[in-house]
Amino acid sequence: MYDKILLTTMGEYMDEIIEHTLNLIQGEAEVICIYIVETSVPFLTPKKVKEMMIDELTAKGKDILEDMSKGFDKPGINFRKLMVKGNPADEIVKAATDEEVDVIVMGTGKSIVDKHLLGSVSEKVVHSAPCTILLVRTAN
Amino acid sequence: MLEIIALVGLLIISLIIVIKSADVFVDNLVEIGGALGISQIILGVTASAIGTSLPEFGSAVIASLSGSTELGVGTVIGSNIWNIAGILGISAVVAGSIRTGSEGLTRDWLMTLGTGLILLFFMLFGDITWTAAVVMIAAYCFYLWLLIKAQKKHSDEDGQEKEKESQNIDETPEKLEKNSEKTINKKSIAFVIVGFVGLVIGCRLMVYSGVELASIAGIPAMIMGLFTLAIGTSIPELVVTLSSAMKGLHDLSIGTVLGSNTFNILIGIGVPALFMSVPVERLSLTFDAPVMIFVTILLFVLVRKSNMKLNRVGGIILLATYIVYAFLRIFVLT
Repeated sequence: MYDKILLTTMGEYMDEIIEHTLNLIQGEAEVICIYIVETSVPFLTPKKVKEMMIDELTAKGKDILEDMSKGFDKPGINFRKLMVKGNPADEIVKAATDEEVDVIVMGTGKSIVDKHLLGSVSEKVVHSAPCTILLVRTAN
Repeated sequence: MLEIIALVGLLIISLIIVIKSADVFVDNLVEIGGALGISQIILGVTASAIGTSLPEFGSAVIASLSGSTELGVGTVIGSNIWNIAGILGISAVVAGSIRTGSEGLTRDWLMTLGTGLILLFFMLFGDITWTAAVVMIAAYCFYLWLLIKAQKKHSDEDGQEKEKESQNIDETPEKLEKNSEKTINKKSIAFVIVGFVGLVIGCRLMVYSGVELASIAGIPAMIMGLFTLAIGTSIPELVVTLSSAMKGLHDLSIGTVLGSNTFNILIGIGVPALFMSVPVERLSLTFDAPVMIFVTILLFVLVRKSNMKLNRVGGIILLATYIVYAFLRIFVLT
Protein backbone atom coordinates (compact mmCIF):
# COMPACT_ATOMS: atom_id res chain seq x y z
CA MET A 1 0.00 0.00 0.00
CA TYR A 2 2.80 2.39 0.88
CA ASP A 3 5.75 2.06 -1.47
CA LYS A 4 7.68 5.13 -0.46
CA ILE A 5 7.84 6.21 3.18
CA LEU A 6 9.43 9.29 4.67
CA LEU A 7 10.51 8.75 8.23
CA THR A 8 11.47 11.67 10.45
CA THR A 9 13.46 11.48 13.64
CA MET A 10 15.31 13.67 16.07
CA GLY A 11 16.76 10.65 17.85
CA GLU A 12 13.98 10.05 20.34
CA TYR A 13 11.59 7.10 20.47
CA MET A 14 13.31 5.44 17.55
CA ASP A 15 12.13 1.95 18.49
CA GLU A 16 8.44 2.94 18.45
CA ILE A 17 8.82 4.79 15.15
CA ILE A 18 10.67 1.87 13.52
CA GLU A 19 8.05 -0.61 14.77
CA HIS A 20 5.11 1.38 13.38
CA THR A 21 6.88 1.98 10.07
CA LEU A 22 7.61 -1.72 9.65
CA ASN A 23 3.91 -2.43 10.26
CA LEU A 24 3.07 -0.22 7.28
CA ILE A 25 5.25 -2.18 4.89
CA GLN A 26 3.74 -5.04 2.91
CA GLY A 27 6.24 -6.54 0.51
CA GLU A 28 8.78 -4.08 -0.85
CA ALA A 29 9.20 -0.42 0.07
CA GLU A 30 11.60 2.45 -0.03
CA VAL A 31 12.17 4.09 3.36
CA ILE A 32 13.78 7.53 3.43
CA CYS A 33 14.89 8.58 6.89
CA ILE A 34 15.34 12.33 7.23
CA TYR A 35 17.26 14.16 9.95
CA ILE A 36 17.10 17.93 9.97
CA VAL A 37 19.97 19.98 11.32
CA GLU A 38 18.18 23.02 12.69
CA THR A 39 20.41 25.94 11.85
CA SER A 40 18.46 28.81 13.37
CA VAL A 41 19.96 30.41 16.47
CA PRO A 42 18.82 33.42 18.49
CA PHE A 43 20.20 36.92 17.86
CA LEU A 44 23.52 37.54 19.65
CA THR A 45 24.64 33.91 19.47
CA PRO A 46 28.41 33.98 18.84
CA LYS A 47 29.23 32.87 15.27
CA LYS A 48 31.79 30.28 16.37
CA VAL A 49 29.31 28.76 18.82
CA LYS A 50 26.71 28.58 16.03
CA GLU A 51 29.21 26.73 13.82
CA MET A 52 30.01 24.40 16.72
CA MET A 53 26.29 23.71 17.26
CA ILE A 54 25.79 22.84 13.59
CA ASP A 55 28.81 20.52 13.64
CA GLU A 56 27.52 18.80 16.80
CA LEU A 57 24.02 18.41 15.37
CA THR A 58 25.43 17.04 12.10
CA ALA A 59 27.50 14.46 13.99
CA LYS A 60 24.49 13.57 16.13
CA GLY A 61 22.32 13.23 13.01
CA LYS A 62 24.80 10.85 11.38
CA ASP A 63 24.74 8.62 14.47
CA ILE A 64 20.93 8.67 14.57
CA LEU A 65 20.59 7.82 10.86
CA GLU A 66 23.08 5.00 11.28
CA ASP A 67 21.07 3.61 14.21
CA MET A 68 17.84 3.91 12.24
CA SER A 69 19.31 2.06 9.26
CA LYS A 70 19.94 -0.97 11.50
CA GLY A 71 16.21 -1.16 12.26
CA PHE A 72 15.40 -1.43 8.55
CA ASP A 73 18.08 -3.91 7.58
CA LYS A 74 15.49 -6.33 6.23
CA PRO A 75 14.81 -7.97 2.85
CA GLY A 76 12.61 -5.93 0.53
CA ILE A 77 13.39 -2.61 2.20
CA ASN A 78 15.48 -0.05 0.40
CA PHE A 79 16.68 2.33 3.16
CA ARG A 80 18.02 5.78 2.36
CA LYS A 81 19.44 8.41 4.72
CA LEU A 82 18.80 12.07 4.14
CA MET A 83 20.30 14.93 6.12
CA VAL A 84 19.27 18.52 5.45
CA LYS A 85 19.71 21.87 7.13
CA GLY A 86 16.94 24.28 7.92
CA ASN A 87 13.59 24.52 9.63
CA PRO A 88 12.38 21.00 10.56
CA ALA A 89 8.71 21.36 9.54
CA ASP A 90 9.52 23.14 6.25
CA GLU A 91 12.22 20.64 5.30
CA ILE A 92 10.01 17.62 6.06
CA VAL A 93 7.24 18.97 3.84
CA LYS A 94 9.76 19.87 1.12
CA ALA A 95 11.37 16.41 1.20
CA ALA A 96 7.95 14.73 1.09
CA THR A 97 7.03 16.82 -1.96
CA ASP A 98 10.36 16.38 -3.77
CA GLU A 99 10.56 12.65 -3.14
CA GLU A 100 6.84 12.13 -3.84
CA VAL A 101 6.43 9.86 -0.83
CA ASP A 102 3.18 8.07 -0.01
CA VAL A 103 3.30 8.61 3.73
CA ILE A 104 5.23 10.54 6.36
CA VAL A 105 5.87 8.79 9.68
CA MET A 106 6.72 10.95 12.66
CA GLY A 107 6.55 10.86 16.44
CA THR A 108 4.20 12.94 18.52
CA GLY A 109 3.34 13.09 22.17
CA LYS A 110 4.74 16.21 23.76
CA SER A 111 3.02 17.38 26.92
CA ILE A 112 0.91 20.55 26.76
CA VAL A 113 3.66 22.46 28.59
CA ASP A 114 6.29 21.27 26.11
CA LYS A 115 4.06 22.12 23.16
CA HIS A 116 3.64 25.67 24.41
CA LEU A 117 7.28 26.15 25.30
CA LEU A 118 8.98 24.30 22.47
CA GLY A 119 6.36 24.20 19.70
CA SER A 120 5.34 21.12 17.77
CA VAL A 121 6.92 20.14 14.45
CA SER A 122 4.26 17.47 13.82
CA GLU A 123 1.42 20.00 14.14
CA LYS A 124 3.07 22.27 11.56
CA VAL A 125 3.68 19.36 9.17
CA VAL A 126 0.06 18.17 9.48
CA HIS A 127 -1.16 21.50 8.10
CA SER A 128 0.94 21.48 4.91
CA ALA A 129 1.95 17.91 4.13
CA PRO A 130 1.34 16.73 0.55
CA CYS A 131 0.49 13.15 1.60
CA THR A 132 -0.85 10.92 4.36
CA ILE A 133 0.79 11.23 7.77
CA LEU A 134 1.17 8.60 10.45
CA LEU A 135 1.70 10.20 13.84
CA VAL A 136 3.18 7.70 16.24
CA ARG A 137 2.14 8.34 19.82
CA THR A 138 5.43 8.22 21.71
CA ALA A 139 6.30 7.48 25.33
CA ASN A 140 5.46 10.93 26.69
CA MET B 1 13.43 61.23 33.92
CA LEU B 2 14.81 61.93 30.43
CA GLU B 3 18.30 61.33 31.76
CA ILE B 4 17.28 57.91 33.09
CA ILE B 5 15.68 56.92 29.75
CA ALA B 6 18.81 58.07 27.90
CA LEU B 7 21.05 56.09 30.26
CA VAL B 8 18.93 52.94 29.97
CA GLY B 9 19.05 53.34 26.17
CA LEU B 10 22.82 53.78 26.33
CA LEU B 11 23.11 50.69 28.53
CA ILE B 12 21.16 48.55 26.05
CA ILE B 13 23.06 49.89 23.02
CA SER B 14 26.41 49.45 24.74
CA LEU B 15 25.47 45.86 25.66
CA ILE B 16 24.73 45.04 22.03
CA ILE B 17 28.00 46.70 20.95
CA VAL B 18 29.93 44.71 23.58
CA ILE B 19 28.39 41.36 22.65
CA LYS B 20 28.70 41.82 18.88
CA SER B 21 32.26 43.20 19.20
CA ALA B 22 33.29 40.22 21.35
CA ASP B 23 31.87 37.93 18.66
CA VAL B 24 33.70 39.71 15.82
CA PHE B 25 36.93 39.82 17.87
CA VAL B 26 36.96 36.11 18.79
CA ASP B 27 35.75 35.00 15.37
CA ASN B 28 38.51 36.78 13.49
CA LEU B 29 41.15 35.94 16.06
CA VAL B 30 40.34 32.27 15.44
CA GLU B 31 40.66 32.86 11.67
CA ILE B 32 44.11 34.37 12.18
CA GLY B 33 45.07 31.60 14.63
CA GLY B 34 44.03 28.98 12.07
CA ALA B 35 46.09 30.65 9.37
CA LEU B 36 49.09 30.73 11.72
CA GLY B 37 48.81 26.96 12.09
CA ILE B 38 47.39 26.77 15.62
CA SER B 39 45.45 23.54 16.09
CA GLN B 40 41.72 23.73 15.40
CA ILE B 41 41.12 21.89 18.70
CA ILE B 42 42.97 24.52 20.73
CA LEU B 43 41.25 27.31 18.80
CA GLY B 44 37.82 25.73 19.12
CA VAL B 45 38.08 25.12 22.86
CA THR B 46 39.51 28.56 23.56
CA ALA B 47 37.04 30.35 21.31
CA SER B 48 34.00 28.70 22.86
CA ALA B 49 35.35 29.22 26.39
CA ILE B 50 36.18 32.88 25.84
CA GLY B 51 33.53 33.79 23.27
CA THR B 52 30.57 34.05 25.58
CA SER B 53 32.56 35.41 28.55
CA LEU B 54 34.35 38.30 26.90
CA PRO B 55 31.61 40.83 27.83
CA GLU B 56 31.98 40.05 31.56
CA PHE B 57 35.76 40.14 31.26
CA GLY B 58 35.73 43.40 29.31
CA SER B 59 33.37 45.11 31.73
CA ALA B 60 35.36 43.88 34.76
CA VAL B 61 38.62 45.19 33.31
CA ILE B 62 37.16 48.51 32.16
CA ALA B 63 35.34 48.97 35.47
CA SER B 64 38.59 48.36 37.36
CA LEU B 65 40.60 50.67 35.13
CA SER B 66 38.02 53.43 35.50
CA GLY B 67 38.02 53.16 39.28
CA SER B 68 34.73 51.26 39.72
CA THR B 69 36.33 48.03 40.88
CA GLU B 70 33.33 46.92 42.96
CA LEU B 71 31.19 47.14 39.82
CA GLY B 72 33.56 44.74 38.06
CA VAL B 73 33.61 42.24 40.95
CA GLY B 74 29.83 42.52 41.23
CA THR B 75 29.42 41.82 37.51
CA VAL B 76 31.58 38.70 37.74
CA ILE B 77 30.01 37.19 40.89
CA GLY B 78 26.51 38.26 39.82
CA SER B 79 27.02 36.69 36.39
CA ASN B 80 28.12 33.43 37.93
CA ILE B 81 25.06 33.20 40.20
CA TRP B 82 22.76 34.20 37.30
CA ASN B 83 24.46 31.74 34.91
CA ILE B 84 23.65 28.75 37.10
CA ALA B 85 20.47 29.72 38.92
CA GLY B 86 18.94 31.94 36.24
CA ILE B 87 20.14 30.68 32.87
CA LEU B 88 20.23 26.96 33.63
CA GLY B 89 16.97 27.36 35.54
CA ILE B 90 15.23 29.01 32.57
CA SER B 91 16.75 26.53 30.09
CA ALA B 92 15.64 23.49 32.13
CA VAL B 93 12.12 24.91 32.51
CA VAL B 94 11.79 25.66 28.78
CA ALA B 95 13.58 22.59 27.36
CA GLY B 96 12.09 20.17 29.90
CA SER B 97 15.42 18.68 30.85
CA ILE B 98 19.13 19.12 30.28
CA ARG B 99 21.13 15.91 30.32
CA THR B 100 24.83 15.72 31.00
CA GLY B 101 27.57 13.11 30.93
CA SER B 102 29.23 12.30 34.25
CA GLU B 103 32.79 12.82 32.95
CA GLY B 104 32.20 16.31 31.58
CA LEU B 105 30.04 17.35 34.51
CA THR B 106 32.57 16.18 37.07
CA ARG B 107 35.46 17.94 35.32
CA ASP B 108 33.68 21.25 34.63
CA TRP B 109 31.74 21.28 37.88
CA LEU B 110 34.78 20.48 40.04
CA MET B 111 36.68 23.26 38.27
CA THR B 112 33.83 25.74 38.80
CA LEU B 113 33.54 24.80 42.47
CA GLY B 114 37.32 24.88 42.93
CA THR B 115 37.41 28.30 41.27
CA GLY B 116 34.74 29.63 43.64
CA LEU B 117 36.64 28.28 46.62
CA ILE B 118 39.91 29.81 45.36
CA LEU B 119 38.15 33.18 45.10
CA LEU B 120 36.61 32.83 48.56
CA PHE B 121 39.99 31.85 49.99
CA PHE B 122 41.73 34.94 48.61
CA MET B 123 38.80 37.14 49.63
CA LEU B 124 39.44 36.10 53.26
CA PHE B 125 42.74 37.99 53.13
CA GLY B 126 41.07 41.23 52.06
CA ASP B 127 41.88 42.77 48.68
CA ILE B 128 42.67 40.43 45.81
CA THR B 129 46.28 41.14 44.85
CA TRP B 130 48.68 40.10 42.10
CA THR B 131 49.70 36.91 43.97
CA ALA B 132 46.09 35.71 43.85
CA ALA B 133 45.97 36.81 40.21
CA VAL B 134 48.95 34.63 39.30
CA VAL B 135 47.33 31.59 40.99
CA MET B 136 44.03 32.29 39.22
CA ILE B 137 45.53 32.69 35.75
CA ALA B 138 47.68 29.57 36.26
CA ALA B 139 44.55 27.67 37.33
CA TYR B 140 42.77 28.79 34.15
CA CYS B 141 45.70 27.65 31.99
CA PHE B 142 45.44 24.26 33.74
CA TYR B 143 41.70 24.13 32.98
CA LEU B 144 42.29 24.99 29.32
CA TRP B 145 44.87 22.21 29.15
CA LEU B 146 42.30 19.77 30.58
CA LEU B 147 39.72 20.89 28.01
CA ILE B 148 42.13 20.59 25.11
CA LYS B 149 43.20 17.11 26.30
CA ALA B 150 39.57 15.99 26.54
CA GLN B 151 38.76 17.46 23.11
CA LYS B 152 41.78 15.73 21.52
CA LYS B 153 40.65 12.39 22.95
CA HIS B 154 37.12 13.02 21.67
CA SER B 155 38.39 13.97 18.19
CA ASP B 156 40.63 10.89 17.97
CA GLU B 157 37.71 8.60 18.87
CA ASP B 158 35.48 10.37 16.34
CA GLY B 159 38.11 10.03 13.62
CA GLN B 160 38.45 6.28 14.20
CA GLU B 161 34.67 5.78 14.10
CA LYS B 162 34.33 7.76 10.88
CA GLU B 163 36.99 5.62 9.22
CA LYS B 164 35.07 2.46 10.15
CA GLU B 165 31.64 3.41 8.91
CA SER B 166 31.03 4.26 5.29
CA GLN B 167 28.68 7.21 5.15
CA ASN B 168 26.18 7.32 2.34
CA ILE B 169 24.07 10.23 3.49
CA ASP B 170 22.56 12.74 1.11
CA GLU B 171 23.61 16.10 2.48
CA THR B 172 23.03 19.70 1.60
CA PRO B 173 26.04 20.99 -0.37
CA GLU B 174 27.26 23.78 1.92
CA LYS B 175 28.62 21.16 4.32
CA LEU B 176 31.46 20.41 1.95
CA GLU B 177 32.89 23.91 1.94
CA LYS B 178 35.37 23.37 4.78
CA ASN B 179 39.05 22.41 4.81
CA SER B 180 40.24 24.96 2.30
CA GLU B 181 43.75 26.37 2.74
CA LYS B 182 43.71 29.51 4.83
CA THR B 183 45.97 32.52 4.82
CA ILE B 184 45.92 35.57 7.06
CA ASN B 185 43.91 38.22 5.32
CA LYS B 186 43.91 41.90 6.09
CA LYS B 187 40.16 41.84 6.63
CA SER B 188 40.56 39.50 9.62
CA ILE B 189 43.22 41.74 11.15
CA ALA B 190 41.02 44.79 10.59
CA PHE B 191 38.03 43.03 12.18
CA VAL B 192 40.10 41.97 15.20
CA ILE B 193 41.01 45.62 15.71
CA VAL B 194 37.41 46.76 15.13
CA GLY B 195 36.16 44.08 17.56
CA PHE B 196 38.69 45.08 20.20
CA VAL B 197 37.96 48.79 19.87
CA GLY B 198 34.21 48.08 19.94
CA LEU B 199 34.67 45.98 23.04
CA VAL B 200 36.61 48.70 24.84
CA ILE B 201 34.23 51.50 23.82
CA GLY B 202 31.13 49.37 24.49
CA CYS B 203 32.38 48.30 27.93
CA ARG B 204 33.34 51.88 28.79
CA LEU B 205 29.85 53.13 27.80
CA MET B 206 28.23 50.26 29.67
CA VAL B 207 30.20 50.91 32.86
CA TYR B 208 29.51 54.65 32.58
CA SER B 209 25.76 54.18 32.13
CA GLY B 210 25.71 51.58 34.92
CA VAL B 211 27.52 53.85 37.38
CA GLU B 212 25.40 56.89 36.44
CA LEU B 213 22.14 54.95 36.70
CA ALA B 214 23.17 53.61 40.10
CA SER B 215 24.00 57.08 41.32
CA ILE B 216 20.72 58.62 40.04
CA ALA B 217 18.63 55.77 41.46
CA GLY B 218 20.60 55.91 44.72
CA ILE B 219 21.61 52.26 44.65
CA PRO B 220 25.13 50.93 45.29
CA ALA B 221 27.31 50.26 42.23
CA MET B 222 27.80 46.72 43.52
CA ILE B 223 24.06 46.02 43.13
CA MET B 224 24.19 47.44 39.60
CA GLY B 225 27.03 45.07 38.79
CA LEU B 226 25.48 42.06 40.54
CA PHE B 227 22.20 42.32 38.67
CA THR B 228 21.91 44.70 35.72
CA LEU B 229 25.36 44.32 34.20
CA ALA B 230 25.66 40.68 35.28
CA ILE B 231 22.45 39.69 33.53
CA GLY B 232 23.19 41.93 30.54
CA THR B 233 26.70 40.61 29.93
CA SER B 234 25.39 37.05 30.28
CA ILE B 235 23.05 37.36 27.28
CA PRO B 236 25.43 35.27 25.08
CA GLU B 237 25.40 32.50 27.70
CA LEU B 238 21.61 32.69 27.87
CA VAL B 239 21.06 32.38 24.11
CA VAL B 240 23.67 29.63 23.73
CA THR B 241 22.52 27.61 26.76
CA LEU B 242 18.83 27.91 25.98
CA SER B 243 19.07 27.17 22.26
CA SER B 244 21.48 24.26 22.75
CA ALA B 245 19.20 22.77 25.43
CA MET B 246 16.24 23.08 23.04
CA LYS B 247 18.23 21.45 20.24
CA GLY B 248 19.25 18.58 22.53
CA LEU B 249 22.92 19.60 22.70
CA HIS B 250 22.95 19.06 26.43
CA ASP B 251 26.70 18.95 27.05
CA LEU B 252 27.15 22.27 25.29
CA SER B 253 24.35 23.70 27.41
CA ILE B 254 25.76 22.93 30.86
CA GLY B 255 29.36 23.15 29.60
CA THR B 256 28.83 26.74 28.43
CA VAL B 257 27.63 27.84 31.85
CA LEU B 258 30.27 26.03 33.89
CA GLY B 259 33.07 27.04 31.51
CA SER B 260 31.91 30.62 31.60
CA ASN B 261 31.82 30.69 35.41
CA THR B 262 35.37 29.39 35.60
CA PHE B 263 36.55 32.00 33.07
CA ASN B 264 34.66 34.85 34.77
CA ILE B 265 36.46 34.39 38.07
CA LEU B 266 39.91 33.21 37.06
CA ILE B 267 40.31 35.67 34.17
CA GLY B 268 37.57 38.25 34.88
CA ILE B 269 38.97 38.93 38.34
CA GLY B 270 42.47 37.46 37.85
CA VAL B 271 43.57 39.76 35.02
CA PRO B 272 42.41 43.07 36.62
CA ALA B 273 44.05 41.93 39.89
CA LEU B 274 47.37 41.64 38.06
CA PHE B 275 47.39 45.40 37.54
CA MET B 276 45.71 46.68 40.69
CA SER B 277 44.35 45.36 43.98
CA VAL B 278 40.71 44.42 43.66
CA PRO B 279 38.89 45.50 46.82
CA VAL B 280 36.51 43.04 48.45
CA GLU B 281 33.24 44.24 49.94
CA ARG B 282 32.22 42.60 53.19
CA LEU B 283 28.88 41.45 51.77
CA SER B 284 30.63 39.88 48.79
CA LEU B 285 32.67 37.76 51.17
CA THR B 286 29.86 36.88 53.57
CA PHE B 287 26.93 36.57 51.16
CA ASP B 288 27.51 36.81 47.36
CA ALA B 289 30.49 34.44 47.08
CA PRO B 290 28.91 31.84 49.44
CA VAL B 291 25.66 32.02 47.42
CA MET B 292 27.69 31.47 44.25
CA ILE B 293 29.26 28.36 45.79
CA PHE B 294 25.88 27.23 47.14
CA VAL B 295 24.16 27.36 43.71
CA THR B 296 27.11 25.49 42.19
CA ILE B 297 26.66 22.69 44.75
CA LEU B 298 22.86 22.84 44.37
CA LEU B 299 23.21 22.32 40.61
CA PHE B 300 25.34 19.23 41.16
CA VAL B 301 22.90 17.79 43.72
CA LEU B 302 19.90 18.40 41.43
CA VAL B 303 21.62 16.82 38.44
CA ARG B 304 22.83 13.78 40.38
CA LYS B 305 19.45 13.26 42.05
CA SER B 306 17.65 13.24 38.68
CA ASN B 307 19.85 10.65 37.02
CA MET B 308 22.38 13.02 35.45
CA LYS B 309 19.88 15.53 34.16
CA LEU B 310 18.51 18.84 35.27
CA ASN B 311 14.77 18.53 34.93
CA ARG B 312 11.98 21.11 35.00
CA VAL B 313 11.52 20.85 38.78
CA GLY B 314 15.26 21.37 39.24
CA GLY B 315 15.04 24.42 36.98
CA ILE B 316 12.23 25.87 39.07
CA ILE B 317 14.24 25.27 42.27
CA LEU B 318 17.22 27.09 40.75
CA LEU B 319 15.06 30.02 39.59
CA ALA B 320 13.38 30.25 43.00
CA THR B 321 16.84 30.31 44.61
CA TYR B 322 17.83 33.21 42.37
CA ILE B 323 14.68 35.17 43.18
CA VAL B 324 15.25 34.67 46.94
CA TYR B 325 18.89 35.73 46.56
CA ALA B 326 17.97 38.83 44.55
CA PHE B 327 15.27 39.80 47.04
CA LEU B 328 17.56 39.41 50.05
CA ARG B 329 20.47 41.18 48.35
CA ILE B 330 18.46 44.14 47.05
CA PHE B 331 15.89 44.71 49.79
CA VAL B 332 17.24 43.16 53.00
CA LEU B 333 21.02 43.23 53.05
CA THR B 334 21.80 46.50 51.22
